Amino acid sequence: MSDYIKPLPKPSPTSLPFWEAARRHELKLQYCEACKAFIYYPRDRCPTCFSDSLEWRPVSGRGKVYSYTVVRRASSRSFADGPYVLAIVQLDEGPRMTTNIAAPPEQVRVDMPVAVYFDDVAPGHTLVKFKPA
Amino acid sequence: MGALTDKYCIVGVGETPHMRPSNRTTLSMACEAVSKAMEDAGLKPSDIDGMTSYQAADSTSSAHVATALGMRLNYCLDILGGGSSTEALVAHAIGLIEAGYAKTIVCFRSMNGRSGRRMGGQVPGGPIPVATAEGDNQFNMGWGWTTPAQRFGMSAMRYLHDTGCTTRAFAEIAVAHRYHASLNPKAIHRSPITIEDHQRSRWVAKPFRLLDCCQETDVAAAIIVTSRERAFDLRHPPVFIMGGYARMMTENPQWNYSRPVLHYVAGNYGWKRAFGMAGISHSDVDFISCYDAFTFTTLIQLEANGFCGPGEAGDFVKGGRLKIDHELPSNLSGGHLSEGYTHGVQMVIENVRQLRHRADDACPGWREGRHTYDRSKGCRQLRKARICCGMAWGWENMASCLILRGIAA
Repeated sequence: MSDYIKPLPKPSPTSLPFWEAARRHELKLQYCEACKAFIYYPRDRCPTCFSDSLEWRPVSGRGKVYSYTVVRRASSRSFADGPYVLAIVQLDEGPRMTTNIAAPPEQVRVDMPVAVYFDDVAPGHTLVKFKPA
Repeated sequence: MGALTDKYCIVGVGETPHMRPSNRTTLSMACEAVSKAMEDAGLKPSDIDGMTSYQAADSTSSAHVATALGMRLNYCLDILGGGSSTEALVAHAIGLIEAGYAKTIVCFRSMNGRSGRRMGGQVPGGPIPVATAEGDNQFNMGWGWTTPAQRFGMSAMRYLHDTGCTTRAFAEIAVAHRYHASLNPKAIHRSPITIEDHQRSRWVAKPFRLLDCCQETDVAAAIIVTSRERAFDLRHPPVFIMGGYARMMTENPQWNYSRPVLHYVAGNYGWKRAFGMAGISHSDVDFISCYDAFTFTTLIQLEANGFCGPGEAGDFVKGGRLKIDHELPSNLSGGHLSEGYTHGVQMVIENVRQLRHRADDACPGWREGRHTYDRSKGCRQLRKARICCGMAWGWENMASCLILRGIAA
């Protein structure tokens, strides 16, 4: 067992393809054929048109920081290795994801371009994160 | 005007001290708060026939409190909730009484919010108490997104970017609410602060500093709602419920940050309903309460509820506008930032006391409504306190509002 003490995501049947892709270092999101739009997080139906015709497709992994915070005060021992940058990244394809930005906190800005990378945090667990592009 | 405007009243309020820690059970604290609210109203346990509460799986229940106080209830309900629940339970009580399910309803919140389960579910100094993140949490908790400061910090950061507002506007709110706490013997933090004190305080989650964050405490608080007809026979002049909105939601509430503008919060959808129901305009409001889990949550609700235009809240609060004796006094007890943390009940309680002209301040005659209005002598009663607008925050995606009027001033 690793000494990783942060909570690990537990996939649901609906979200499993997202996490399986991340383990392969691919970023895949659901695409709604009817709306011609990507959605996140994973769902059984499109939240706009309620179609269940959703297809897993790769996305570019490029986007911009929609917003961020620099966490200086850890709320638990699990995240006491900070400070760390929490962010909402808006992908070029539209959806927003919560994530970390791997950069010195003072360099992070709203609207800063970022690109995806994959962090294999524990055996069988990969988190989707971003770094300055 | 709403069909039920002025038909229902808040007739009793009560709370325990704010404690850190309480060394008490939530049942013990809830019984004290409910008993004090009954005493305040001049009601006996047998006069109460409905009880509701809200909690985050961290508290006692209405059935326990009713048992401890010897009540036989016609209605009881305990809901999951936090900020914005008090005002929603008031709306709920109106519906129950109107429909004949109960006559006089007490609503309470009891929490060891400091010594027990903290917001975000963490134990200070300990590891995060879950090994896996399920449901929605699988898409945020693993990256360290676990607390309200982080969540609302995200909205605040984007707000600053979009509007050009600076954190000095946050400071205005911290300073105003702390000044009111300095006039409140019950408050946890009573030393006045300056804008510079705020700007020098340490970062918690950028753009929030320590003095942007509320004071978690162990406390219970209760309010009693009944009909106008019953209210006239009770101890204090009634405080009338004019209107409001309850747990109003944004679109897309579940995956909140996919909404087009994260800081376009739920109050934007509600204020016309509340003011329309009350039959008033903003200029009729003598004072406000505005849920201050963080300074920013007060700031954003001012513009969400139409007190100023979009992006204007930073300018609106400048120059101490929210201080007592200024244009729009806010959170006269000191609020969550400085009095303590009740998940919103304390704001309704303070508003009721102000509207009765009986703020429990340093004035020897406050119980009889005799105040000096001398702030240097610790008086926090407003001279003119006839109509109050209380604005409550759940998340960005949820809000409540409660417009009250008194007849004492």
